[in-house]
Amino acid sequence: MALPLKYNVRNVLVRWRSTVATLLGIALVVGVYILLQAMAAGIERSSANTGSPDQLLVVRRGSTAESSSIVSREQWRTLLYSPEIARTDADEPLVSADVLVLLNLPRSEGRGEANVLLRGTSPRGPALRPQVRLVAGRWFQPGRREVVVSQRLAQRFESFGIGDQFRSGPATFTVVGHMDGNRSAFDSEIWMDADEARALFDREQYSSLLLRPRDDAAREALMNRIENDRRLQLIAHIESEYYASQTGTATPIKWLGNFLALAMSVGAVFAAMNTMYAAVGARTREIGTLRVLGFRRRTVVLSFLIEGVFLATLGGAVGCLLSLFLNGYAVGTLNFETFSESVFEFQVTPAVMLKGLVFAWIVGVLGTLLPAVRAARLPVIASLKSV
Amino acid sequence: MTLPGFVLRNALRNKRRALLSTLSVAASLFLLVLLQTLQREFTLPPEDVGASLRIAVRNKVSLGMPLPARQRPIIERIPGIAAVTPFTFFGGRFRDEAFTPFAQFAVDPVAFTNVFVDARVEAGQLADWLADHRSCIVGRDTLERYGLSVGERLRLTGTFYPVDLDLRIAGSYSGTLDDRSVFFHHRHLDEMLGGSETVGTWWVRAASAEVAPEVISTLNATFANTSAEVRAETESAFQMGFVSMWGNIKLLIGSISGVVVFTLLLVAVSTMSMAIRERFRELAILKALGYRRRELFGFILAESFGLSMLGALLGAGGAFLLFQSIDIQKLSGGMMLYFEVTPRILAMAFTVAAALGILASIPPALAVARTSVVEGLRTLD
Repeated sequence: MALPLKYNVRNVLVRWRSTVATLLGIALVVGVYILLQAMAAGIERSSANTGSPDQLLVVRRGSTAESSSIVSREQWRTLLYSPEIARTDADEPLVSADVLVLLNLPRSEGRGEANVLLRGTSPRGPALRPQVRLVAGRWFQPGRREVVVSQRLAQRFESFGIGDQFRSGPATFTVVGHMDGNRSAFDSEIWMDADEARALFDREQYSSLLLRPRDDAAREALMNRIENDRRLQLIAHIESEYYASQTGTATPIKWLGNFLALAMSVGAVFAAMNTMYAAVGARTREIGTLRVLGFRRRTVVLSFLIEGVFLATLGGAVGCLLSLFLNGYAVGTLNFETFSESVFEFQVTPAVMLKGLVFAWIVGVLGTLLPAVRAARLPVIASLKSV
Repeated sequence: MTLPGFVLRNALRNKRRALLSTLSVAASLFLLVLLQTLQREFTLPPEDVGASLRIAVRNKVSLGMPLPARQRPIIERIPGIAAVTPFTFFGGRFRDEAFTPFAQFAVDPVAFTNVFVDARVEAGQLADWLADHRSCIVGRDTLERYGLSVGERLRLTGTFYPVDLDLRIAGSYSGTLDDRSVFFHHRHLDEMLGGSETVGTWWVRAASAEVAPEVISTLNATFANTSAEVRAETESAFQMGFVSMWGNIKLLIGSISGVVVFTLLLVAVSTMSMAIRERFRELAILKALGYRRRELFGFILAESFGLSMLGALLGAGGAFLLFQSIDIQKLSGGMMLYFEVTPRILAMAFTVAAALGILASIPPALAVARTSVVEGLRTLD
């Protein structure tokens, strides 16, 4: 068994031109596959990375997204002084009532316009979202037309530098700070004072409430109370679970990725088969020699299969390396839940890379199997005679 | 034997390889055509019969902000406007679907039929819809998809509005580009909401194509510096706004197309080289017989070009036939509307295939040219 293995590895190296072509072909197919999966992974991670399991997000019953939810001031007042809610040192409840407004703003470099999500949040809003850090400038002041934008959005939209001003509706806003959401959904948002936003955009109601209960028991109790109070017409989600469920945008991208991979792999399998058939054809005499030496048919099949898989592994590894260059590269696309531009990063995770490798192996095995069988079936005498 | 016959025999000598080469080119070109068609789908606004005359008016802040209903009489007074209807997205969910693929809009039915002139409704059904403000008309595609019939009830759970709808289906419409939506009386929505003073957008039909630009600028100017500034634009510009929101996805598709073409080239070059290497001895014999380098190059080129063109014919032609025969609008749940393989895309695919055929023949031809007759005759591989 030892000989054919070495033989195959040497073969791959000796016929380096066709080896390189096959290898690169597989690498590119795997690279494209990994990239699309990495984009879906990025979207999923940004959703999964948002919110805390200790907090409750309260939205209107029946609304599918925070941006389309309505919470009235009466409902807010009813919940604000619930005994289950934790309090600050100054004995104020840890609650943030937010309002979400969709703004249509120009992208940088004249690349058209896109919707961005503006979150009007309470003074306690930033403290309730510890994954958001201020990286430059300062936080907005209540009662002023000041906004803090995510630094990832700042690269994509015009007038998002600190000190810049932009106009929307009746007001002019001044950017006073940049924040970093640590790859969460908040990286696609603009933040300002909730009451100022409500006044400017003529919103009587809030969109959602974020509550921090005292402890796990209080959280359960509060969730049940909101759920069972028919008058409230609200529903409380565990914050992290709510955001984790908002991954619908990833589905079509995954679908596209899988489809592209399938179509491209058909081409890659043909190419691999071609290479391997040619390899078999060129090595007819060598195969005959191996058989005469006493190697069995299934050993020959196996050794050719191993050669194919070896090539595929190399190709897959190169594909993984290629895709690593784009790890962390930020892209923006339409988020179907909020209807606004969301910024994601390609996340080339080990799981995604493994998927790419498995994919390469499938291509390798499919492309090698038939030629390998042909090699084993060659009649010994005839193959020895062949040129 | 004639020269073309010689080339053809050579190309088909190893039938399996010829088939595999052709198929790999075909698969890649199919993909290329698919990607280009997808790209076109994302960059093209839907064109309707009345699209050039229709104007969408939305809140300047964003589509998500409502407009005050009191704007209507002001809009109606603007010269050059044939009809105005409110157009409010209801965003209801049907049955227990997680995602409902058809949209529902509250409109003013009389004005609606004047703005969306391409929507055809049977006369009796139209009269029925106009008469009952708790009824609706449903696009024919949606009606067929769910097996609904006229007279049945349509219940929708509100996601944007805190109310649910229970509508009677008065009729169906067809003839628009997207026969999927549900239209119901704005008055009904107002009643449900307890006298709402807002609408989502206005849709306006200009009296003629000449006055349309004038109407747009008047609309924008009329509400400038009011509490609800508007953005008026033609239907196609409005749709382009949606298209631009796809963002980098378009760039991504473009890059993938590039990678596909490059992979294709690699594969083609490698198979062509293989085919020629196998025949090195024969080519050397031809050389010895007095054939010139450029004639040998001609043989190789003809073979490579022919195979890749055959692949293009299969791949691009197959894509063309496939997309023409299937109802992509239904299959994609309305995400894609045309999915048309245009002559431009086909021409591009064939150009790629031609370039491929030529490029792939160069490395083996060079190898043949460089080798001396003696060396070629001696070669074994």
